[in-house]
Amino acid sequence: MKRILGHAAWAAVAVAAAFFLGGIAVDRGEPVNSMWLVLAAVCTYLVGFRFYAKFIAAKVMILDNDRATPAERLRNGIDFEPTNKWIVFGHHFAAIAGPGPLVGPTLAAQFGYLPGTLWIILGAVIGGAVQDFVILFCSMRRDGKSLGAMAREEIGRVGGVTALLTVLLIMIILLAVIALVVVNALKGSPWGTFTIAATMPIAIFMGLYLRYWRPGKVLECSVLGFLLVVLAIFGGQWVAESPSWAPVFTLSGMALAIAVIIYGFFASALPVWLLLAPRDYLSTFVKLGVVFMLAIGILLVRPQLELPAFTRFVDGDGPIFAGKIFPFCFITIACGAISGFHSLISSGTTPKIIAKEWHAWPVGYGAMLLESFVGIMAMIAACVLQPGVFFAVNSPAGIVGSTPEAAVATITSWGFPVTVAEMEQLAKDVGESTLFARTGGAPSLALGMAHIFAKSGGGQAILGFWYHFAIMFEALFILTIIDAGTRVGRFMLQDLLGSVCKPLGRTSWLPGVIGASAAIVLAWGYFLVQGVLDPLGGINSLWPLFGIANQLLAAVALCVATTILVKMHRAKYMWITSIPLAWLVTVTFTAASQKIFSPVPRIGFLAQARALEAALASGQIPAAKIAETQHRIFNERLDAVMCGIFLVLVATILIDSIRVWWGILRGTREARVNESAFVLSRLKAEEI
Amino acid sequence: MRHLKAFGRILLGLLRELSDESAYQRHLRSHGRTHSPGEWRHFCEHRLRLKYSRPKCC
Repeated sequence: MKRILGHAAWAAVAVAAAFFLGGIAVDRGEPVNSMWLVLAAVCTYLVGFRFYAKFIAAKVMILDNDRATPAERLRNGIDFEPTNKWIVFGHHFAAIAGPGPLVGPTLAAQFGYLPGTLWIILGAVIGGAVQDFVILFCSMRRDGKSLGAMAREEIGRVGGVTALLTVLLIMIILLAVIALVVVNALKGSPWGTFTIAATMPIAIFMGLYLRYWRPGKVLECSVLGFLLVVLAIFGGQWVAESPSWAPVFTLSGMALAIAVIIYGFFASALPVWLLLAPRDYLSTFVKLGVVFMLAIGILLVRPQLELPAFTRFVDGDGPIFAGKIFPFCFITIACGAISGFHSLISSGTTPKIIAKEWHAWPVGYGAMLLESFVGIMAMIAACVLQPGVFFAVNSPAGIVGSTPEAAVATITSWGFPVTVAEMEQLAKDVGESTLFARTGGAPSLALGMAHIFAKSGGGQAILGFWYHFAIMFEALFILTIIDAGTRVGRFMLQDLLGSVCKPLGRTSWLPGVIGASAAIVLAWGYFLVQGVLDPLGGINSLWPLFGIANQLLAAVALCVATTILVKMHRAKYMWITSIPLAWLVTVTFTAASQKIFSPVPRIGFLAQARALEAALASGQIPAAKIAETQHRIFNERLDAVMCGIFLVLVATILIDSIRVWWGILRGTREARVNESAFVLSRLKAEEI
Repeated sequence: MRHLKAFGRILLGLLRELSDESAYQRHLRSHGRTHSPGEWRHFCEHRLRLKYSRPKCC
């Protein structure tokens, strides 16, 4: 009887998933409540988790709780430690949750809420969560080895080197693009700039507090740090209203870019305990808290979606980024559905603390579903804005015009009415001088979040506080990724240079530290400055580049996962990883080739370079702008080369992997699995 | 009430894990040492070096 009831309950969930997904897909012309999206997502996740993921766990990977995990076998009390599964789940989620699933869906909302929402839900269930889960399993069976090490062992040296190169390149583009998101959010905003600037002395204070005054009291110190950050938000309001202080903190995009670059250099070169670590503790807690608050806010307010299911920009002529739904919606959403970076986390700390093999099911698959839900919440936050406001905030001046009047005229002509008075009032409500052309996704996401938070409590009167709270939340953890990423890039570079000149490889040799930090900072700083100078806002060229790189890394991870499945004699199940892989390869190749070769200047880098060259040759460019235009031509070609490198990398690892699969399936190659030997688990339930 | 307590325990456990406080306690136990400012600094050096040799997720 219990069994029948169980089946009936799951059948009801499956029917509900189909009903809600169908509801948002076929509904036209009437306002849609955000709860439709929430319920469609939750029901689909439940079905995916209970049936698809369990099938993969039981039939494909054959998880075995009697087999001791690395956490038990290699237990050392530091890195390897069997841990409660829900703590591992939270730890893993905190590690995979970044700005990607917040910013990507916000930008993809230019197509309307439907394409992005469907991809976030289905992409996660069929692709992203599968990737995270299978890589976690593979690493768990290999003593917690990294993706690069597994690629080298399972595919070959070429695969290993490709994976390493990919990680380094993706990091450079990632750091540049997220730095651009922060710069665009803080440009001309004394309130935001002061708040974020204040987080640096707060982090240093926390570092000193932890090191000298109250060693080991991280939670206590983080609570103190959070209170100081909230105080800094109020301080920011005072600064913005002060006639003498406001100009000091009102910075241009270029000034902010230089400040972020200098910050990145110091954060990478300074001792980690002083700035990076305390900032990381603070940003992790704030991130988890705000995600939880947003979920509660959406459930309480249940806002109506103002953006339509589809906008006119499905034709590829969108103001935020150019290109059609396929492939650009998929590479823009990136981390909300599939993220290559997650494979680095799934083969990092997590496999070393999993107590039982079956815990990989909720941790690997479940945490990605939660990340996907964060993407859904970001989509809702973006879509609760009036479409006119959404496009006024996110459209660059190069597209809609540099004056408020020109911008509202262009946006209204697209069928999304908005007025200058409306935008001015909104800017005043949130304590900003203007909200026009605040590209990058962060300001519009902050606006949407502020609306939801304000409606949950406090009303319009504290809209400004919530807006800057959301900006602080986004900038805080983006800057943490920048400093940690620069540091990791420095280690990678020093590792590489160490094989040429030994002292350069020593992470304690000061000239080596300074040189390598400067090289990494200059690499991403170059792309950041390029984005700031771009009259189309920078996001149009850099975000797709980042999306392509990220999806490429996911393709590398899925190649490794498929190779391991084939070697485990599970070739009949290789479709589980090879279907998302085939999709990613199709998307990445199409997007990259369009970004390089499309004849439309707003899409194709080379076409844009040619258009600028033609403008130069015909004398349309004023003398003062000639040098800048020549730089832009060089930058467009550089972006095309980067895209080309990504294509070559994905093709290399794919061909190498197919060669291995083909050999094993034909019987000409040995299917040797590099798993660690079976050891019987002696871990008792009460120990975890 | 029992479930609420269990949830609270897990939440606190998660916060302690994220803040490295649990890892520090494990470090003290496994090396048979007691807490001191010097021991915390020694632990931090090793822990943070490992932690920040891996990229953070986007």
